[in-house]
Amino acid sequence: MLASILASGLAVGAIYAMIGITYNTMFATSRVMSFTAGQLGMLGGVLGSLFLLRLGLHPVLALGLMVLGCAAIGVVTEIVAVRPVLKSLDQHLYVLTTLAMALLIQQFTAIQWGTEPQPFPRLLDLTIGGWEEKYWLPVATCAVTILGLEYLYRRTLVGRAFVAISEDNFAARALGLPERNLRIASYALAGAVGGLAGFSGGQLLLAFFANGPLLNFYGFIPVALGGLGNNRGAVIGGIALGLFQQAANFWVGGIFSSVAVFTLFIIVLLAAPQGLFGATASRRVWWRRSSEGCCPSWRCLALASPCRSPATSITG
Amino acid sequence: MPISAPEPLLAVRALTAGYGKIGVLNGVSLDIAAGEVVALLGPNGAGKTTLLRALSGLLSWRGEFRFDGRDMQGTGPREGARAGLVHVIEGHRIFTQISVTDNLLLAGYDLPRGERNARLEEALVSFPEIAAKRQERGGTLSGGQQQMLAVAQGLMRRPRLLMLDEPSAGLSPVLVDRVLDVVSRLRAAGTAVLLVEQLIEKALKVSDRVYALAQGQIVLAASAREPGLPARLERAYFGQE
Amino acid sequence: MPLTGNEYYGLIVTRIAVYWVLIAGLNLIVGYAGQLAIGYVALFTLGAYTTAVLAAGNAFAPIPALAALAVAGVAGAVFGVVVGLPALRLRTFYFAISTLGFATIVTQIALAWQEVTGGGIGVVGPVFPAPFDDTWGLLYFCLGFATLATWITANVARSRFGRALVAIRDADVAAEAIGIAKPRLLIMVFLLAGALAAMAGGLFAALQTYITPDAFTFELSLLFFIAVLIGGRGSILGPLLGTIILTLLPEVAAPLAAWSTFLYAALLLAIVLAVPGGIAALLDRRSRRPLPANRTITPRPEAVRALIAHDAAPGALSLRGITLSFGGVRAVDGLDLDVLPGQIHGLIGPNGSGKTTTLNVISGYYRPEAGSQSLGGVELTPGLSTDRAARGIARTFQTPRLIGEASVLENVMIGGTTQGQSGFLEAMLALPRHRRDERLLEQRARLALQAVGLDGLAEVRADRLQHSELRFMEIARALMLRPAFLLLDEPAAGLAHEEIRRLAALVRAVREAGTGVLLVEHHADLIFDICDQVTVLNLGRTLAAGTPAEIRVHKEVVSAYLGA
Repeated sequence: MLASILASGLAVGAIYAMIGITYNTMFATSRVMSFTAGQLGMLGGVLGSLFLLRLGLHPVLALGLMVLGCAAIGVVTEIVAVRPVLKSLDQHLYVLTTLAMALLIQQFTAIQWGTEPQPFPRLLDLTIGGWEEKYWLPVATCAVTILGLEYLYRRTLVGRAFVAISEDNFAARALGLPERNLRIASYALAGAVGGLAGFSGGQLLLAFFANGPLLNFYGFIPVALGGLGNNRGAVIGGIALGLFQQAANFWVGGIFSSVAVFTLFIIVLLAAPQGLFGATASRRVWWRRSSEGCCPSWRCLALASPCRSPATSITG
Repeated sequence: MPISAPEPLLAVRALTAGYGKIGVLNGVSLDIAAGEVVALLGPNGAGKTTLLRALSGLLSWRGEFRFDGRDMQGTGPREGARAGLVHVIEGHRIFTQISVTDNLLLAGYDLPRGERNARLEEALVSFPEIAAKRQERGGTLSGGQQQMLAVAQGLMRRPRLLMLDEPSAGLSPVLVDRVLDVVSRLRAAGTAVLLVEQLIEKALKVSDRVYALAQGQIVLAASAREPGLPARLERAYFGQE
Repeated sequence: MPLTGNEYYGLIVTRIAVYWVLIAGLNLIVGYAGQLAIGYVALFTLGAYTTAVLAAGNAFAPIPALAALAVAGVAGAVFGVVVGLPALRLRTFYFAISTLGFATIVTQIALAWQEVTGGGIGVVGPVFPAPFDDTWGLLYFCLGFATLATWITANVARSRFGRALVAIRDADVAAEAIGIAKPRLLIMVFLLAGALAAMAGGLFAALQTYITPDAFTFELSLLFFIAVLIGGRGSILGPLLGTIILTLLPEVAAPLAAWSTFLYAALLLAIVLAVPGGIAALLDRRSRRPLPANRTITPRPEAVRALIAHDAAPGALSLRGITLSFGGVRAVDGLDLDVLPGQIHGLIGPNGSGKTTTLNVISGYYRPEAGSQSLGGVELTPGLSTDRAARGIARTFQTPRLIGEASVLENVMIGGTTQGQSGFLEAMLALPRHRRDERLLEQRARLALQAVGLDGLAEVRADRLQHSELRFMEIARALMLRPAFLLLDEPAAGLAHEEIRRLAALVRAVREAGTGVLLVEHHADLIFDICDQVTVLNLGRTLAAGTPAEIRVHKEVVSAYLGA
């Protein structure tokens, strides 16, 4: 029993973690948290099932097409729902535009794909020491994703440009970095990661149009737990959430496990809005934007009304 | 006004800019010739930083603005930097999470890799103490070192006009002299500099000319060598000139 | 007598009425307070099941349907606060996600708690007593409910509480300085909206005659939410039209039924990007009328006196040893400052010298690490921004903080929010004491507008004003408090010479009326022209203090302030 809790907990945890990373990746370059994160996960499963089962493509080709499709959705999100509202971040219009975008994706899928959950095939049919494919695949994918991102952020100039923009967008622009292109690229990257989450977890979640809101919520918890923008925190938070949820499922049953998760989420948010592992450094952006000074930290994002600033400094 | 060429490197006419409904600059006109060091002085809130932001394309503006014979209407900081108009913003806002080297490489993001690495060495020549720390994260540098790194980032572009916004802020007198030495060296190499500075005397020492900005307008244009300049500046600030 | 002979239309009208009962309450939360609660179907579900289960007797002995509906209302009010509480601490996206989570789990519980809810099979809806037990009876019952909900929420929206909600939404910092206590206000609105939502759920259960968890999809929640936004923020009529349109859309265009949620989403995107004001903005013809081009602001000192004249001087505003650092930098470093009543005290210094930080300490936005502050010898609680209004301290901001969609008059009335006598319940029911409050507030706001010289623009939407007019409007709002001390943060920034002269006259009039003024300003000429005392800050410390004449010739000041 413990082994099964562990296997399924790690698997869903890895999926949640990847959705968390999807949120973080979009957030890093735009300061926007997008409701499309969960829909990208849903699309990963639906597109995977479409390419593999309906069209019978080779898994590698299916994976490639799925990643391209989700990346394209990411780019469209940036153009349609994010860029037009970036000028007035403080009005939080992005909550509405990305919600609308997420709904468009979901409803389009519902109509074109159907509202019944559809099966997702086994890819390799490989069981490792009793660890079934549907359980190890998300974990392995999550590990590969993390390693890939670490390489990107630490070893490539593009990756460091992402880091720079996320720390101080204004300074990055002043330096002549192609901020807009980098933002588009990060949305494409987020699309790919979200798609991978749904694809690798397809056998668990199935290809179901309504997975989006659920993934939105459960994928956001690791972000809240791990700290906004902190990918390693998201992985730890995601795994912890997955294990907790599966254990609660087993010990106290389905309803109370969702109540327990929700309660835990609210308590953590209220007690430690910066997450348990801290958010990435973006202090300066938020502090320096203000001419009247505001709370100089991540708290500006999670907490209500601490940042007492106009959008840009008016001194000088 | 000593303008050497018929068309100056930078020519601004009747420039207005602001934030939302708040107008900060109303009708600024100024010229900078190639290779000239110009100090931009003025009391707080006069609009010095706003002017620099408008010139580098970080802020939208109206009016006329030509750089190197080119109309700069609608260009952003990226195009500006490519054309050789480089802005080192106030407050040494370097990136603390990545190394000194990476900070500099990012400043040359558009350049070919070989060129980028060559310019990295070139930019570090003037600042041996940050060259020694090139592998360390930007956040570990002292405030003065961060300011030098910010100036070095500006040099990565081999600017034709370098705009420095209060490079001396938070620096010890020795370091201030070092930064201003760089200004002199740039001038000798034919690079023009627009220097916003609070330390008037030091700024005047390295400058050819002075503009004073007050309440969003140029209230004084003079040679930096003019006798009695501080008194004139003070009167200009109080609207008596 | 039925409205139409067609039962089908009767059902649709009933559904619109039921949805509107919920949306009318949600409108206060989303449209007025700006809290993005996307999961309100949770309370709708809760109300539907509570009413149905209690009336059917699944859990206890059956009770009458109307009593069950009332119980649902109470439960909805309680859970409305539970769902809403995170909004007091969390920012928009976090709050939206937490309501989404709540919506998710309520449906799961309805599905899993079989012995009470009937699980996937469902439960029979309540039947109200005659004459409300048939289609038409229920229709009239729901219409009556909807009318009541409209009346109540419109009363709240038009009261000082409604204006305070909008202030929290658009200018939360200013709202604190005005003395608006966000938690109390929001909790009251969450109670009201929760009760309305749950009772709407009970009505819905009666309309459906049989309810299953399938009926309460997240899409329904989004219909509620989007109806408010399509209707427009800060309007009652707009969201009502939004509700009607969204409910009718799939009915009148049957082939589109499958696409209805898709259309809602497309509509939401289009509204946010193209018509941020929603339907309400399209209907608002008044705001398109051109304003006179060459208008001038002419403050009237006699109106200032009539508005704020004091009988007794309140004593000095004193700071002792105030210290505050940000990230290791001492923004204010052991500052002493005394502002006397009936004096204009200038606070000047270079950028980063701590002027605005000092104002923010006095306003209670920042809690100093050390030092004390007092007014008239009585301590000012550090970091408690919402009690400054009650202590007689008003302020303006470097960037005017205002409600663009409200009229100039309403913006100024917000300044007097704490001066009303009546409670939330009285406002809800428009009782006499509330109406008297409103009359008084409006009178004083008109007087304040005369005082600053903006009375000609009272009915104009604030976002149509010029920058300089907004500065004077903010001063009018601050004067509504009849302050003992007025803190002005760079009031002359962005003003033309002539306007600065008028500002000077206004500030002098405020002083003559007995109010002390603390003036942070870069315009040296204004400072030296009107101040009685000037304190010069540098690096968070006092560099010099004295009369303008003394400061004007102070060697160090000249070098620090002008740079040398």
